[in-house]
Amino acid sequence: MIINHPLLGPRDAAEFIYLGDAALIDRPDWQAEDAMQQFHDYAYLRDNPAGPHRELWYHEQGDRSWLVVTRDTTTHEITDVQMARDVARSRGRDK
Amino acid sequence: MPDYTLISTPPLAGYDKIFGTTRLHAPADLAIVSIALPLGAEDAALKAVKSAYGAALPEPGRSTLTKEGARLVRLGSDQAFVIFTHATPDAERAVATRLKGTAYTTDQTDVWTGLEITGPDSRTVLERICPVDLHRDAFAEGDAARTVMEHLGALIVRTGEDTFLLLSASSSANSFLHAVETSIRNTS
Amino acid sequence: MTQKNRISGGQIDRTRTVAFTFNGKRMAGHPGDTLASALLANGQRLVGRSFKYHRPRGILTAGSEEPNALVELRSGAQQEPNTRATTVELFDGLAANSQNHRGPLEFDLMALTDLMSPFLSAGFYYKTFMWPRAFWEKLYEPVIRASAGLGRLSMQDDPDSYDKGFIHCDLLVIGAGPAGLSAALAAGRAGARVVLADEDFTPGGRLNAETHAVDDMAGADWAAQAVAELAAMDNVRLMPRTTVYGAYDHGTYGALERCTDHLSDAGGKPRQVLWRIYSKRAVLAAGATERPIAFGNNDRPGIMLAGAVRTYANRFGVTPGQEVAVFTNNDDGWRTAADLLARGVAVPAVIDTRDAPAPIDLPGIRHVRNAAVMDTVGRKGLKSITLTDGQVIPADTLAVSGGWNPNVHLTCHQRGRPEWRDDLNAFVPGASLPAGMAVAGAANGALTLAAALAEGQAAANAQIEALGFTPAKTDAPRAEDEPSTCSAFWHVRESRKRAWLDQQNDVTVKDVKLSYREGFRSVEHLKRYTTLGMATDQGKTANIPALAIMAECTGKTIPETGTTIFRPPYTPIPLGALAGRARGTDFRPYRLTPSHNWATENGATFVEVGNWLRAQWFARPGEKGWRDSVDREVEMTRNSVGICDVTTLGKIDIQGRDAAEFLNKVYANGFAKLPVGKVRYGLMLREDGIAYDDGTTARMSENHFVMTTTTANAVLVFRRLEFARQCLWPNMDVHLISTTDGWAQFAVAGPNARNLLRKVVDESHDISNEAFPFMACSEITVCGGMPARLFRISFSGELAYEIAVPARYGNSMMDVLIEAGREFNATPYGTEALGVMRIEKGHAAGPELNGQTTAHNLGMGRMVSQKKECIGNVLSQRPDMIRDDAVKLVGVRPVNRAEPLTAGSHFVNRGETASTETDQGWMTSVAYSPSLGHSVGLGFIRRGDERMGEIVRAVNPLKGGETEVEIVSAHFIDPEGERLRA
Repeated sequence: MIINHPLLGPRDAAEFIYLGDAALIDRPDWQAEDAMQQFHDYAYLRDNPAGPHRELWYHEQGDRSWLVVTRDTTTHEITDVQMARDVARSRGRDK
Repeated sequence: MPDYTLISTPPLAGYDKIFGTTRLHAPADLAIVSIALPLGAEDAALKAVKSAYGAALPEPGRSTLTKEGARLVRLGSDQAFVIFTHATPDAERAVATRLKGTAYTTDQTDVWTGLEITGPDSRTVLERICPVDLHRDAFAEGDAARTVMEHLGALIVRTGEDTFLLLSASSSANSFLHAVETSIRNTS
Repeated sequence: MTQKNRISGGQIDRTRTVAFTFNGKRMAGHPGDTLASALLANGQRLVGRSFKYHRPRGILTAGSEEPNALVELRSGAQQEPNTRATTVELFDGLAANSQNHRGPLEFDLMALTDLMSPFLSAGFYYKTFMWPRAFWEKLYEPVIRASAGLGRLSMQDDPDSYDKGFIHCDLLVIGAGPAGLSAALAAGRAGARVVLADEDFTPGGRLNAETHAVDDMAGADWAAQAVAELAAMDNVRLMPRTTVYGAYDHGTYGALERCTDHLSDAGGKPRQVLWRIYSKRAVLAAGATERPIAFGNNDRPGIMLAGAVRTYANRFGVTPGQEVAVFTNNDDGWRTAADLLARGVAVPAVIDTRDAPAPIDLPGIRHVRNAAVMDTVGRKGLKSITLTDGQVIPADTLAVSGGWNPNVHLTCHQRGRPEWRDDLNAFVPGASLPAGMAVAGAANGALTLAAALAEGQAAANAQIEALGFTPAKTDAPRAEDEPSTCSAFWHVRESRKRAWLDQQNDVTVKDVKLSYREGFRSVEHLKRYTTLGMATDQGKTANIPALAIMAECTGKTIPETGTTIFRPPYTPIPLGALAGRARGTDFRPYRLTPSHNWATENGATFVEVGNWLRAQWFARPGEKGWRDSVDREVEMTRNSVGICDVTTLGKIDIQGRDAAEFLNKVYANGFAKLPVGKVRYGLMLREDGIAYDDGTTARMSENHFVMTTTTANAVLVFRRLEFARQCLWPNMDVHLISTTDGWAQFAVAGPNARNLLRKVVDESHDISNEAFPFMACSEITVCGGMPARLFRISFSGELAYEIAVPARYGNSMMDVLIEAGREFNATPYGTEALGVMRIEKGHAAGPELNGQTTAHNLGMGRMVSQKKECIGNVLSQRPDMIRDDAVKLVGVRPVNRAEPLTAGSHFVNRGETASTETDQGWMTSVAYSPSLGHSVGLGFIRRGDERMGEIVRAVNPLKGGETEVEIVSAHFIDPEGERLRA
C-alpha cells in the first residue's frame, strides 16, 4: 500500500506501523464520574467497519508523525490522510 | 595532563572504496545535531536558524547547503538536522550557541553513521535497497527522505548530481555498509 | 542425436550451436532455443511422467502455462526441480533430467499406477481417510508419501544468491506482445517513465510466433524494431525475462527477473531479483492462453496445442513431427495447418468440430467437417488418431485448438471477477480492475492483431493523459485482423477413454463428473475435490474446459458456474527469491555495542538480544564452563568493581517546556517534581492497567530529561511517547529524539566503583557520596574534558554508576575503565552476571514484566498515582486487578539448598495435587547466586507478600520434577539498600 503523507508525499506502507481505530485519539476524561466505564470502552471496544475506516498509522521509518488515514477496509482505497496532531487538536485535545 | 585519554573509533572511520565508477566512503568528522522547534515559538527558532546559518530552514523533505558548508535537513514539521564537519565532541554546543536558546538541540553525531555514494550508477545500486524514488526529476538535489533499507532506518540526502549521503544507525553500521556494498557488487 | 526436426526459418542463431544434455544424452540446439524447442528439434517427444498415473508425457505448450514438460535443471546443490522446459532458455552445458519415474524414463516402474486408476479417481485421497481406518497410517499414508511429488529437491543449501529491488514508473506495461509494445511505444514517445516487462527472453509475444505482418514487415521484425526504439529511450526500461506475478494495492506490482538463469555461469551475481514496482498506472497486455479440447487419450506425447506448434515452427524453426494433424473448434487452428504447409510439413488432415467451410483456403487439404478426435494410439508418442466417425488417421503430431483464454489473472488479484463473453467463449476482465490498471489486447479479449495493436496504443494514451502527458499523434501500427471465430466445444462426448483436463495433476473429464455426482459442484469444491488447477501451472490450460463440463453437468451456463479466484503469483516464485538476501548471517542486521571490539578481544561470548549482540560473559583461561565465568564476574563485582556495557538500553532525549508534565502523564508514578540533577525510577503502564516498561529518567535541566527504557522496548516506548505527544496531548511543548546509539553507557558497580571513577572523572566534578548521592545525575567531563554523563543508579544493588560518553569513544572508554580499575581488579561482566545480580536484588525485568502483570502484582501498586492524569492509572484500579489475593512478586529459595530451580515452574501448596485449580503462581526468573551459594528464584505467588517463610512446591510437569521452596523477600541481597547508598 501507498500512503500519501501530507508533508512528504506518497510513501510505501512498509515505512509505517499500524495502530488501528483513530477513536484512540478521543481519550476519556480521567476525572469523569464514569471514568472507569469510559476507559474500559476506550481500551477495548472498537468498531470494525467493512468500508471506510479512520485509522492511525505511525511513520516510524520516516518523520515519526502519527497520521489519521481514511482507508476502505474492503478495497484498501485511501481517501484522506491527515496529521494526527491536527486531528487531535481539532477534536479539542490540548495539554 | 589526565591519566587517561579517550580515542575516537567511529564504526566506519576511514572507509573509502572505489568499485568501478562508484565511490563509497564514510565522510570524516561528520557531526549531526538535531533541532526541535519549540511549540508556539517556531518563528523565533526559524529566524535564529536563518541568521545563524544565512539560510532558511527548508520545507520537510528538503535540505539546504549553507555557505559555510553545513547542510540543514528538514525532517518533519518541528524537527531538523544540521549536518556539518566538526571533529570535536561538542557539536551540540556549537549549534546551540548559535541558536541562542531558541530551539532544542540534541547531539546526534554518534547516533548515526554516514556513507556517501557517488557515481553514474549510484541509483542503480540504491534501487536494490531504497524504496524511495531517486529518479533525477523525482528526487532533486537537496531532497531528503527518511526511509528503511534492508530493515534499517536510513536518511538519504541527494547532495549532488549522482551523489547521495546515507545515514543509518551507528550500532548497525557494519550491516548497513554490507547492504550497500552488496548492492554495488550485485549491480556491477 | 541430430536435430532431425529442425526446419527452415525461425529467430534462432544458426551460426552457433549450443550443446546440452537430457537424461545424460548429448543434444544440440541454437542460441534462441528454449529447452523445449531444442528437445523437439532433436526428436525427443517423451519428456516426463505424469504426477499420479505416471503416464508418458510430452510437451503441450510453448510457454509458462506448460503442465507436462517439467524437468530438473542443473545438478548438485543447484538442482532445480519442476522447471518448465518451455520457458528455459537454452545455454551451453545445460543439463536437464526428466522427473517422476523410477528406472529409465522409457520404462517407469511406477507406470503400474496407471492400471490402478479406477482407485485413484477424484477424491481418492480423502476417501483413504474414511475406510478402512487402520489402513491410513500403515498403508495409505506411506505409499502416498513415497509416490507423491514430482521433482526432487537437492536437499542442500541453495548456493545461488538472490536480490530484491524497487522500481518507480509512470506506466508499467505488462507483456511485450503486440498490445504491450504498442502501449510502450505510445507512452515512451510521450515522455512518460515506462517499464515494459515480459516473461520471455525475446520481447514480441505472439508476433514472434505468427507470420502476420505489421507496418508491412514481418511481425517479428516489427517487434525487434519496436524494441530497438524503446531501448534507445532514456525514459523506458525494458525488462525481458521478468514476470509480473502479482497486482497489489495502489499500483504496486511484484515482478521476478531471471537474471542469470540463462547463463552457464552466474559470475557471482544474483540469479534472480524480486522487484517491487511502484506504478502510477499500468497496462496489462498479458496476452491469451490457448486451451485444449478433452478427448480420449489426449495426453500422449505428440499431442500439442495448435498455437504452440506454430510457435515452434515459426519462431524456433522446429516441427514437432513429420505428419501434423490439426483438431480445432475455431478459425485459429487453421493457421497452424497453413503455416506448417508453408514450411513443407505434411498436414494429413484438419478436423474441425464445426460444420462450416474452411476459414482459410488450403488447396488439397483433407478437411474433416463436423467431426472430432475420439481416441489416439501410441503410448510413448502419438501414432494415429481415431475420429468420431471411426476413421483412423496416421499422424505423429496432433495440434489441438480449443480457443483462447485472455490472461485475466492480474485483473483478479484484488477481488475483480472476470466476465464471460459469449462471442469469444471466454472470460474477459471484469469492470472492477485494480486501481490504475487498464487492459489491452488479447488479455482484454481483442484476440486479433490489428485490434491488439490499436488497443495497446489507446490504453497507454488514456493512462498517460490522465497523468498529464500529451500523447503523440501517431496512428496505431498497421495490421490486419485475422479470422477468429470460435465455437463452444469443450470435450468429445463420444470418447470412452480417459480424457485429460489438468495434465499436471492428472484430472480427467470423468473426475469432474464424479465430483458432480458426489456433490462437489461449486467451482471451489470442484477444485479442492479433484485438485483441478492446484498444480504449479494453476490450471492455465485446464480450468475453463473443466468449468464448461461442470456447467454441462449442472445445466447451468459457464458464467453462472463461475471461476475460482486467481491469486498471486501468476507463475511460481522460488522461495530463494522471496527470501532475497535474508539468509544466514544476513537474515537481519546486527547492532553492535560501542565496546564490541574490546569484548571480542577479551574473550566475550555474545548473545543475541533483539538485533543486538551483547557480551554474555567473559571467559578466562581455566574456566570450565559459563557458570565459572558468571560466578566470578558476580563475585568480583560484589567484592570490588565490575563494568558492563549497558548501551543497549533505550535512551530518549526529551526536551520542552512541558517535558516534566509530559513525563508525569506517561509514567504511573510522579515526575513533575523531580529535581534537576536527580534520577527517578519510572513505571509505565498500558492503558488497560498492565505494567508495560520500566526504566530511569534523569532531569538534566529544567526542560531537559533523559529517559531510559528496557532494551527490548526501546522502539515501542518511543512510538508510544510520540503517540501521547501528538495524539493525546498535542499542545504540549515536548520533543523526543532517540540517542540510544549516541552514547556508550557503562554500568560501574561494586564497592570500589567510586574509587575507580575518581581516576577517570575530571577533578572539577565532585562525585563524593555527599555531593553526588544515590539517584544523582550530572553532565560531567572525563579524561580531560570529554563530555560525559554520570548517573548514580544501580541495577545490581551495589554502589553503582552508569557513565556515558559519546559512542565513538566507547571502545576506548571500556579500555580506560579496565585500565584505571586494574588496582581494584575491575572485571568486565556480561548479561548473565547482570541477570544474576538483578535477581539477587529482586529487580523486575522481562520475565516479570511479561504483559500479564500489574503494578499491584509487582508490589509497586502504591507507586501508581491516582492524583494525576496518566496512562493506565484508571483501568489499573479495576477491582479484579487489585484483589487482595492477587499474585505478588516474591523471592524463593530451595529448602534443600543444593537443589537448582527451574523458571516456568508453578507453585502448588504442600499436600495438594498440581492442577490448574490448585495453582498458586509461577516462577519467573532463576539463577545460581554465588553470593549466597545456592539457587534463588523470583516468582508470582498468590498473596505472596503475606506468606514469607511458607514452604510450597515448585512443580514443573513440562520438564518433570518438583522442588520444595521457601517464600522469602525478593531482595536476597542488601534488603535495606545500604550498599547502593554507600
